[in-house]
Amino acid sequence: MGKKIQINKEFVDIMPQDYLDLVENGTFESPNRGWKDFGTATELIAEHSLCAGCPESIAFRHIMASIPNPEDTVMVGSTGCTSLVFPMIAVHNIHSLFGNQNAIATGLKRALAVRFPDKVKDVIVLAGDGATVDIGLDMTLQSWFRKERFTTICFDNELYANTGGQESGLMQKGFLAKMAPVGKKFEKVRLPEIARESGCDYVAIMTASKPSLVEKVIKQAVLIAREVGPTYIQIYTPCILEIGKQSMEGLQEMRTSEAPGERFKFREFISPEAQSFLDGLAEKKKAEKLAATGATS
Amino acid sequence: MYNVAEVNAEECVAQKGCRLCIMYCPEANCIQMDTTKMVATIVESRCKGCELCVVVCDAAKHNAIKMVAR
Repeated sequence: MGKKIQINKEFVDIMPQDYLDLVENGTFESPNRGWKDFGTATELIAEHSLCAGCPESIAFRHIMASIPNPEDTVMVGSTGCTSLVFPMIAVHNIHSLFGNQNAIATGLKRALAVRFPDKVKDVIVLAGDGATVDIGLDMTLQSWFRKERFTTICFDNELYANTGGQESGLMQKGFLAKMAPVGKKFEKVRLPEIARESGCDYVAIMTASKPSLVEKVIKQAVLIAREVGPTYIQIYTPCILEIGKQSMEGLQEMRTSEAPGERFKFREFISPEAQSFLDGLAEKKKAEKLAATGATS
Repeated sequence: MYNVAEVNAEECVAQKGCRLCIMYCPEANCIQMDTTKMVATIVESRCKGCELCVVVCDAAKHNAIKMVAR
């Protein structure tokens, strides 16, 4: 158990067992957090109400295991299936109005910098494709234009899954959904390319089928956002209900979509500044550790 | 009736380093590692019965997990 996350001794006997497990056996302040903690350490997600076999919950699990310092992270969510999980995670989080998430994260990041000038506070935006690309595109792009230093993660399921399958900007051309029976007439919005041109220092597009890759990308994105500039990750989390798959077929769907030449083949863009930061990361990490221990002791 | 996953401890190859079912289970804290016996164990109250663990286990030819009715 770390120093930052503690339980008041007076409350130990009345707290639920899940909470005690989290405090005693969680991965807060573990310097080498990652998916390898699965199965032995208590994860930062409790039981949630997403569907059985939902690939989004796989992605959520991998992300929560990978964020570098959960005890000093604030996540900003938006309306959608992700908002069913946010109340169940053991990280500070804010639910924003639909589409407002990057604007709220901007204010939050600036306020945290004023309130805690000596501490490293990460802000991570996690929203669906409707919030990121359709309704919140204005806020998303403006935050990148202003080079706001936080990570934006988009769970791309290519439609509005929570409300029954309406057409979204990230839906692929020609796709038929339950509430888009004519088929989409336009191309999928190329948001990774737009992000790169809008000033993001790190952009990745991927699926959640490889935990080690998700871990690497999330850690890089959060650390670059901390020091260099905005970062954007687009993760394919297919809605198995809306594309007509069984609960156990979500993983195969992700693997099929990341094959060479497919639309979610892993691609990343790293700006020269971010690359030089990554190259010197090992030394900076040591310095950060020293600074963090100096601040708390 | 509700289907949940069940691990056959004799077939489970977790002691050789396999963590496939633990990696790909969509539910947090659902498949746990029994570090004394070195086998995966299912927390049945958390299992939603999606069968993803069966798929990944069978794909690796371990065939250690099957669905049982509860």
